[in-house]
Amino acid sequence: MIAIQILKLSIILFIIPTIVGSLFVKVDKGAARLPFMWISGQILLWAGFQCICVPLILLEKRFTMVQQLFWIYTGCLLLFSISLHFGRKKRRIQNFQVIEGTDERKPHRLLWIVFWALLALQLVLAGLMAYEEGDDAYYVAISTITENADTMYCKLPYTGGTTGLDARHGLAPFPIWVALLARASGIPSVVLAQVALPMALIVMSYGIYYMLGKQMLGNRNKALPLFMVVIELLVLFGGYSVYSAENFLLVRTAQGKSVLANIVIPFLLFLMLLLLEKLQKEEGAGAVYWLLLACSMAAGCLCSTLGALLTCMLVGVIGLCAAVCYRRWKVLAPMALCCAMPVLVTVLYLIID
Amino acid sequence: MNVTEIFQKYMGTGLITIWFLLALIYLFINEKKKPMRILFIYVPVIILLLYFNPLFSKLFYRFLGDEIYFRICWLLPVAPVIAYTLVCMLNNLQGRKRVCFGAVAISVIVVSGKLVYSNPLFSLAENVYHVPQAVVDVCDAIKIEGREVMAVFPDEFLLYVRQYSPVVCMPYGRDANYFELHAMMTADEIDVEALAGEAKYYGCHYVVLSQTKPLKGDMSDYDYEIFDFIDGYVIYKDTTMNFGLTPR
Repeated sequence: MIAIQILKLSIILFIIPTIVGSLFVKVDKGAARLPFMWISGQILLWAGFQCICVPLILLEKRFTMVQQLFWIYTGCLLLFSISLHFGRKKRRIQNFQVIEGTDERKPHRLLWIVFWALLALQLVLAGLMAYEEGDDAYYVAISTITENADTMYCKLPYTGGTTGLDARHGLAPFPIWVALLARASGIPSVVLAQVALPMALIVMSYGIYYMLGKQMLGNRNKALPLFMVVIELLVLFGGYSVYSAENFLLVRTAQGKSVLANIVIPFLLFLMLLLLEKLQKEEGAGAVYWLLLACSMAAGCLCSTLGALLTCMLVGVIGLCAAVCYRRWKVLAPMALCCAMPVLVTVLYLIID
Repeated sequence: MNVTEIFQKYMGTGLITIWFLLALIYLFINEKKKPMRILFIYVPVIILLLYFNPLFSKLFYRFLGDEIYFRICWLLPVAPVIAYTLVCMLNNLQGRKRVCFGAVAISVIVVSGKLVYSNPLFSLAENVYHVPQAVVDVCDAIKIEGREVMAVFPDEFLLYVRQYSPVVCMPYGRDANYFELHAMMTADEIDVEALAGEAKYYGCHYVVLSQTKPLKGDMSDYDYEIFDFIDGYVIYKDTTMNFGLTPR
């Protein structure tokens, strides 16, 4: 029973996003790798979930309806990705490649061992250590209620009493996604939020730092394991402040705000680095790139209502810097279009508030 | 709270932020690639300028309040910038110097930060739900298949009951301080008559108390009989309430 539940969850969290992520292999020449496909696929699924879920929450529909529509959306994406895969295969275009073997020279191999050992330690501790986190009383309770009562943001999470629609929190329905995973896998929301999901999200976060490091270091790739180890140490020793993103990664892993700080924002930085490098080479970014950027910003809104502001701020500042530094003002137009979802969420927030 | 105080809180001990600022200066002097300069020097500086801009903070405070202003700092790529700078510095060194500098730098990071798991709020999980086992046992004991029940719990339960069980309801949760019932539950000696009256007012099927809690009076005098003893807690059940699946 437990094995089947874990298998179901693995399919939902790893296999489906990776297949769906193959839609983005044309974003960059390094995009046909497993970490990129997995993470970009998950971002696309999150963006779709946000677009499906928020209107249904505001219309006070049942959670089951969100589930049905989300699985239809996922099914369509899967079909499209698989047909595209075979289309490419016919045309003999590379679909994906595994990460090339790590450098075999001793110091690098040793650093990779240290990296994997520290990662394993964090995953084990995510399972073994419990944290007395006040906000979980809200977010995890929302997931638990949604999973069982089939309503969304219509019950008071602290007490269980019935209330009017909490539309403000409903604009960032990350706990509803947790409930969806719980229903689909059969694992209770509380176990998902406290144990299973943190493990997947921690790996995802390091996956983004891996891609970012690879892009930052360019031809100095031998230094990548050291980069990753230093990142891990900064995360592990990020307890210097309860406000740091690193602290959030290990303490509040499955809360939307932590996903915003440790997955969406670093992924946006990675996408922005890709864009700046393309501008440097005077290449175009391509429609698929802009789609992924728009999805990342929508995923930011799913995590936290503040995600709308933070993602727009980041993309806006980088876009303006890029436009000024490269004298490429045209880049601002697609960037502005990518901000559509955050702008919409902000407008709804202001209306509701 | 003003923005400087919030930034000080975000910095914590401050050393990691100092390394980040020094890393920005190092990259400003040494980094040649334009995309890297834009993303990891200009953008963080502009975000910091925005953060400390009084007009921006005023607008932010007006619409979102000051409690979450620190989250602007999440846009600063602290970890990648420090890690990248360290790698660049090490690349310029050879042999022993490189190893020694690397070891010193990593030690400095470790000393400057604080191990997340050293936080006293971390503890060994008692079960797969990451909630105290007493919460699991008590909730399992009082739940009735097919309906919700209302129970009032001691403070140590409040964060966890609704995470674990959607069918166990409470008169108050994390917002306990606004409730008179909470004041009664946390009194040094519980006035049973007042507690029972207030619990009935909120429709509590159960009252859960620590076995060590001194009581002034007997709960059974007010229709609450002992239902069970679990993990150091005594569960009182209201004998006058409807526990069926349909209303009386």
